[in-house]
Amino acid sequence: MANVIMASCSKALIPTSKPKSPQFQLSLPKFQTLAPKIPKPQISISPSAVKSLVAAAAAGLALAPPSLAEEMHKAALFDFNLTLPIMMAEFLLLMVALDKVYYTPLGKFMDERDAMIKAKLSEVKDTSSEIKAMEEQMAAIMKAARAEISAALNKMKKETAAEVEQKIAEGRKKVEAELQEALANLERQKAETIKALDSQIAALSDEIVKKVLPI
Amino acid sequence: MNVLSCSINTFYAISGVEVGQHLYWQIGGFQVHAQVLITSWIVIVILLGSTAIAIRNPQTIPNSSQNFFEYILEFIRDVSKTQIGEEYGPWVPFIGTLFLFIFVSNWSGALLPWKLIQLPEGELAAPTNDINTTVALALLTSLAYFYAGLSKKGLGYFGKYIQPTPILLPINILEDFTKPLSLSFRLFGNILADELVVVVLVSLVPSVVPIPVMFLGLFTSGIQALIFATLAAAYIGESMEGHH
Repeated sequence: MANVIMASCSKALIPTSKPKSPQFQLSLPKFQTLAPKIPKPQISISPSAVKSLVAAAAAGLALAPPSLAEEMHKAALFDFNLTLPIMMAEFLLLMVALDKVYYTPLGKFMDERDAMIKAKLSEVKDTSSEIKAMEEQMAAIMKAARAEISAALNKMKKETAAEVEQKIAEGRKKVEAELQEALANLERQKAETIKALDSQIAALSDEIVKKVLPI
Repeated sequence: MNVLSCSINTFYAISGVEVGQHLYWQIGGFQVHAQVLITSWIVIVILLGSTAIAIRNPQTIPNSSQNFFEYILEFIRDVSKTQIGEEYGPWVPFIGTLFLFIFVSNWSGALLPWKLIQLPEGELAAPTNDINTTVALALLTSLAYFYAGLSKKGLGYFGKYIQPTPILLPINILEDFTKPLSLSFRLFGNILADELVVVVLVSLVPSVVPIPVMFLGLFTSGIQALIFATLAAAYIGESMEGHH
């Protein structure tokens, strides 16, 4: 693009300034056309003062263009010359150079970074499903663990309950056995004492009979 | 004529303003305004140097200077995109260079102490306060939008001159002349007027008073650079868009 613009601008612009190769030609004609117009009304206003100026103007015009040009150097706002095409060329060169140094490399870099960030973001969105799966897995594991723990707890409870019952039964049996034994002992002692009493009763009754019946 | 120029010259002498005075160099029989070229070279060196230093090694997490230039590039892309449309890509260098060159030129005129360097004739100032620079940029803009239109639509581009009716043909043709004219004179006038106001105020009241005007000048300079770049982009976009 730059080449095309440069080619067309050099064609269009440089020839226009070529015929005006003598200095300050461009600004000179304007003042020449202005010169006859301005002094004329002035003459009618104040002839004495202006006459000298007109003379000076005439002298200025009569003199060789360089002296007039020296004056023009003092105020040439709209002074077109070779600066214009040179500025065009400078601008185009600056454009190409900045493109090489700035726009293209940094733009490419920024675009690549954008693409990278976007790719990473989409990757992160993908992993969210993975995370969901992992969460489900975790929930399942937790559930299994809870079930296992409660099962173990129940089993333990049952076991301990059975043990306790067994121990209670044992203790009861033991107590009953001891009770039986004690009762048996008591019975035996009762029988023994009764037996002993019986024999004593016989002796006593004999004595009583002897005493009561005094023969 | 001498009356006119004499009065102008005495006015300039009184106010101490050097307007339209140039340092002339001869290049192969042609004359150039040396002070414009010198300042433009400095502007170009500033632009190329700062960008080259800031972007020599781009980081994924940008440091402050890289961040600054990324911001500028995004700004330029944004301006181009809003004005030109989706096919703005190839025009970013043109629009961006217009903006950066004009902006740095304008601010250099306000911020750099050019007065410290004395020239035999004329004075160093912003390159954009010379009509040659602004006309050069405006003509390049004209060429750019002609190129954009012709490359997009071929000779059918010239059909836009009779849109919407052939009656508007003279106005449409006139537009091609008014566009560069208004672009160049807007920039030239604003920058020259700004510098003149500052110089005249400084010569009248040397302290404090010119400072707000200087800040206004900085603001105007930035706005002018943005306007030039935006309008150039708008013209390019206009010549590229389809006419239905």
